Amino acid sequence: MGTGFVPTSCQSGVTRAAPAAYTECVSDAPAQGFRSIAEAHLDDVYRYLLYVTANPSTADDLTSETFERALRRWSSFDPRRGSAQTWLCQLARGAALDHFRAEARRRRREERVAEPDRGAEHELPDEYGPVLRQALRTLSGADREVIALRIVLELDAKTAARILNISPSACTTRLNRALERLEEKVRPRLVA
Amino acid sequence: MSPDLSNALRAETPTAPDALRHRIALIASEPPTPRRVLPLRRVLMVAAPAAAAASLVAAVAVGVKAGVEHQPSREAVANELAPKAPSGGLPIPRSAVRTVAPDAFAPAVAAPARKRAQDVRTSITLLVDDTDDLSATTQRALRITRSLGGYVQTVNFGSETAEGTAALQVRIPVSRVQAAVVRFSGLGRILAQQTQITDLQQRLDELTRQIRRAGDPRIRAALRRERIELHRRAAYATLSLDLTTHEPQQQAAPPSRIDRAVNDATGVLTGELAVIAYALIVASPFLVLLAAAYAGRRAYRRYSDLRLLERA
Repeated sequence: MGTGFVPTSCQSGVTRAAPAAYTECVSDAPAQGFRSIAEAHLDDVYRYLLYVTANPSTADDLTSETFERALRRWSSFDPRRGSAQTWLCQLARGAALDHFRAEARRRRREERVAEPDRGAEHELPDEYGPVLRQALRTLSGADREVIALRIVLELDAKTAARILNISPSACTTRLNRALERLEEKVRPRLVA
Repeated sequence: MSPDLSNALRAETPTAPDALRHRIALIASEPPTPRRVLPLRRVLMVAAPAAAAASLVAAVAVGVKAGVEHQPSREAVANELAPKAPSGGLPIPRSAVRTVAPDAFAPAVAAPARKRAQDVRTSITLLVDDTDDLSATTQRALRITRSLGGYVQTVNFGSETAEGTAALQVRIPVSRVQAAVVRFSGLGRILAQQTQITDLQQRLDELTRQIRRAGDPRIRAALRRERIELHRRAAYATLSLDLTTHEPQQQAAPPSRIDRAVNDATGVLTGELAVIAYALIVASPFLVLLAAAYAGRRAYRRYSDLRLLERA
């Protein structure tokens, strides 16, 4: 795990291998402050944004933007209404959507006068294997988003649905379809 | 989904790079923005009970104040309980009407002035035992009238199986009206009594002066006829005697101070609720439109978000 943070609390027995326990500890003690919550959920936010944007540099920028928003809105965070992880993912989703809207506006403006710049292409980092990286590139952002929340961050359907602003059953349906598409892309390559 | 794919997704997804970690550490080292405004929900949670409590306190205050201010005086109670003037009668000068409270009912009539012409009208309501007694009492009243030198103007007698009423209007010489009231009062239990005395002397004196001044014999004759009529009115008192077998229901006791306060407070609260209901009725179409616009905007936003992510 990276460097730079010295968690002020919840250190004993908490490692990256047990993120759920760490999250529980943090969400149960909101008074521990913004710093410890940022440390605990930085990877979650980054991974989520990496899946949504499929671009590491954009995910970097949006992660920073998410935590800046979180710092500004820290006083509105109420742990009784949801965990810090859920709150940060909601903020991250808002930041990503704002980014996509701005990108769409920029492209429309450019289309009027010149050949549009395609912007940042989907360039997933090298940590992904070639099969998975190629398969994820072909999925839509909505598919990658639900996979990130349910599979990578291991959120339950209710929490993921809350972040996506849809019902839990709709969330499950969306996940199943996304996974079907992912498997369709992955299976032939694995067989080959 | 195969477990291998799940594991691969989790294992191959990278964590945040160190540069980003440092950047976030810098952001997190800043003090969080303090809360500047109260959230709407918290404001409502305080404001709604406060408004309800304020309206309740206002209602109680109004009720207590009104309860103290509306405490009726003894005179007002007596006026309320006093018999009303007969319908169609002359307007009654306040000073000329003698009202007797029910608990002090006794045969009494103001003595007419001997040297002035006056129009004396008295009404008495008496309770008798039953219809047999009603008939006998009516007969006795007629005899008393004649014995006092008076005469009967109208008699209205009616009885059913258990209940009955009789209304007599008699004229008694003014000089004997007090005796008449006393004797009539002995015929039953007095429920109500009222005496009205109107001075006629002033009009008589005026007529006398006009007759002296009048040159035309026809006008003088007309004035004389009017003066004679006034003398007749002044010579006899009109006495209305109402006999009934129906005992009037006991008047409800005036509400206590606490009852009045509670009633007034309830009235204020009802008024407040009516205002709120009225406001809601007036505002409801706009609220429905606002809610529909809000729901539509949310749905559109959700749809556009999904489209954005699908294109991403």
